[in-house]
Amino acid sequence: MKNNKDVKVALIGNPNTGKTSLFNQLTGLKQKVGNYPGITVEKKLGICKLNDSVKAEVTDLPGTYSINPTSLDETLVLDTLLNEKNNSFPDVVVVVVEIENIKRNLLLFTQIKDLKIPTILVINMIDQMKRKGIDINVNELEEKLNTKIVLASARKNVGIEELKEVILDYKKLDTTSIGKITDKIDKEYFTKLKNAFPEFTLYKSWLLITQNNEFEFLNDNQKKLVLKFREDLGCIKRYQHKETIFRYQIINNVLKSSFKIDKSKASDLRGILDRILTHKIFGYVIFALILLFIFQGIFDWATYPMDIIDGAFASLSSWTKSILPPGTFTNLLAEGIVPGIGGVVIFIPQIAILFTFISILEETGYMSRVVFLMDKIMRKFGMSGKSVIPLISGTACSIPAIMASRNISSWKERLITILVIPFTTCSARLPVYAILIALIIPDKRVLGILNLQGLTMMALYLLGFTAAIFSAILLNAVLKIESKSLFVIEMPNYKIPSLKNIFYEVVEKTKAFVFGAGKIILAISIVLWFLASNGPSTFKNSEQIVTSKIENANLSEDILQKKVASFKLEHSYIGYMGKSIEPMIKPMGYDWKIGIALISSFAAREVFVGALATIYNVDNDAENSGTIKERMAAEVNPNTGKSRFDFPTGISLLLFYAFAMQCIGTLAIVKRETNSWKWPILQLVGMGILAYVSAVLAFNIFS
Amino acid sequence: MIKTIANLQIGEKAFIEKLCLDNIPLKLLEMGCLPGIEVQLIQKAPMQDPLYIKVNGSHLAIRRETAEKITIIK
Amino acid sequence: MQDILTYIVLGLAIGFLVKKYIFKTKNNDKCDTDCGC
Repeated sequence: MKNNKDVKVALIGNPNTGKTSLFNQLTGLKQKVGNYPGITVEKKLGICKLNDSVKAEVTDLPGTYSINPTSLDETLVLDTLLNEKNNSFPDVVVVVVEIENIKRNLLLFTQIKDLKIPTILVINMIDQMKRKGIDINVNELEEKLNTKIVLASARKNVGIEELKEVILDYKKLDTTSIGKITDKIDKEYFTKLKNAFPEFTLYKSWLLITQNNEFEFLNDNQKKLVLKFREDLGCIKRYQHKETIFRYQIINNVLKSSFKIDKSKASDLRGILDRILTHKIFGYVIFALILLFIFQGIFDWATYPMDIIDGAFASLSSWTKSILPPGTFTNLLAEGIVPGIGGVVIFIPQIAILFTFISILEETGYMSRVVFLMDKIMRKFGMSGKSVIPLISGTACSIPAIMASRNISSWKERLITILVIPFTTCSARLPVYAILIALIIPDKRVLGILNLQGLTMMALYLLGFTAAIFSAILLNAVLKIESKSLFVIEMPNYKIPSLKNIFYEVVEKTKAFVFGAGKIILAISIVLWFLASNGPSTFKNSEQIVTSKIENANLSEDILQKKVASFKLEHSYIGYMGKSIEPMIKPMGYDWKIGIALISSFAAREVFVGALATIYNVDNDAENSGTIKERMAAEVNPNTGKSRFDFPTGISLLLFYAFAMQCIGTLAIVKRETNSWKWPILQLVGMGILAYVSAVLAFNIFS
Repeated sequence: MIKTIANLQIGEKAFIEKLCLDNIPLKLLEMGCLPGIEVQLIQKAPMQDPLYIKVNGSHLAIRRETAEKITIIK
Repeated sequence: MQDILTYIVLGLAIGFLVKKYIFKTKNNDKCDTDCGC
């Protein structure tokens, strides 16, 4: 319940300062992630109880090194602090710094102080102080920085209560800025600026004219003035440089006496680890081994929960049918909605495991080293070192992977990354691959140890990555996008990962998949169920027509029902759709029944297997590979008299699923992240053509 | 010969002499790369790109093309 | 009764899909290239 007494707190700081840990400590599970209207950055809000009567609404703003933004999420910080009429405009700002990089961290602090918003400084990670030989004179620092300082260790839960108290008393904070920087740069210029915008703090006015954006909250007159000042771009750049230099001078002066490091005490663990992990040869070997371990983990550990979920939803489906009165809605529930939800839930184990691994690597600081090792190579393909994590994430699900590409500062590199991620073999393709491989690849061993089926699976993974790389190279050459931007990454110190942070992060990413893809999958499942269970008049008279055509009057009830069901499917709406695309898919070696399964895959790729089960009338609760596989193996192509799922058709299907853009959820995300329909359409068409051509070629070559 | 950060050997230290306004984005200065500050090369990725440097207490990695624009003196 | 429920759910599903794909969301045109400035 929102209360006027609620204090609005904004949490700001450099990345890697433990800001997220602090946010988690303050708000616990009372967090929610939403979207800022119009842009893709997520809003992290949480509630913190300051005392019995007052609550704080804490916003965790994206980590940034300076208030001058160089990416979309950093722009958010600027917008939040400049627009006083905004809902998220804070009553008090908590700037988080950490002891090791305090010099650089304080730049942001001095900038925010100049905005004259009440500001609290939290020095985090003080549990490391002794080990690093650091000594801080807090009182002197508080005086020189004109602020209240809280020493904290978010991990060890130190200083949190103190912070809450200081937040409660925020009105007592001193809002004078530190040092008269504007006077030092050019007194005359800044006086002119102050006079042009008397209603704003001087530093705020400066920020308004130094950025590229148009600020919506200004009135027309103000906007005109801003444009006027922006005409002298050279001057602005010079002064920004000077501003930065002067700020660091102030910080150096302040820290000289109040912050001491005894270098002899600091251990050089980081140096040793860096030498190994970024080594020319060992660095890459170690990375490859880690990747191998992760993929192994995903395969082995995810299968058990996945089987459980599969069985649970199958049971739920039959149970629903048995306890509810028979009718269309019951059918919708049991055959459309329950399997639809099941189709989403079954991927949670794989996705959660992958993101747990990635989160651990990020928390320890290792990911920056990976970016460092891979950047040059990735640039050859038009991407960035920062594209590695999104690409790896794509093997779980493209949706959170594409969202993870937001920290790539070059638009061209980011765009290419987003466009090629769907080529990586996502979890949804695996059930399709598994059953097709089981059907067409012999279960033999090659060279005594390598399993042929396993090798084929690996080859498909490689195919996905290769397709991604080649498309990236192609796009890089063809796309004419101007994008000059700076590549700088911080190499943070190695840390033991915090289980709490990992937990929250994995929950967030999994939710992104479940709600991003999940809703769409469910909606499409419902529509597809309807299309499969209804049809024009022929459909409605199925039972009569089939019975009248039967010559053998002694057919068992069971077989008769199966014939009716088969007839119904053929004459349902989806049956007609399958028939109508049959001419198009015949060159790939498919018939209208496979056509139906292909159409159903638009909900989610793995629906292919379930759709085939329905089409071939396998019993609903025997939806395991054994039975479906047998049934598929037995299906005969009426034209050739041979097996429908023979080698050419199988390979053709594998290639089709490897390349085709069937995931509507991904298309939606691409549209959102690129702010345009152009790119998802390009993906759909481009990947579609590649899929069609390779499937046709494969079918014809192997026939 | 004009020496830049790109010319440093692993472990070598130097002082930043100049960063040209038009070539270098503000962000680099904000990360601590200021004239007069000491910089040390910690590691080079294969093909000498990117470069892992320590500057003003910060540990950063920058691309070679950026490092070539920052001149140094010993 | 069952049929009515079915059609309601179907309508919701279609409505949801239409909204997601046909309805043009408000674009933030401020920064669609990187704000590298």
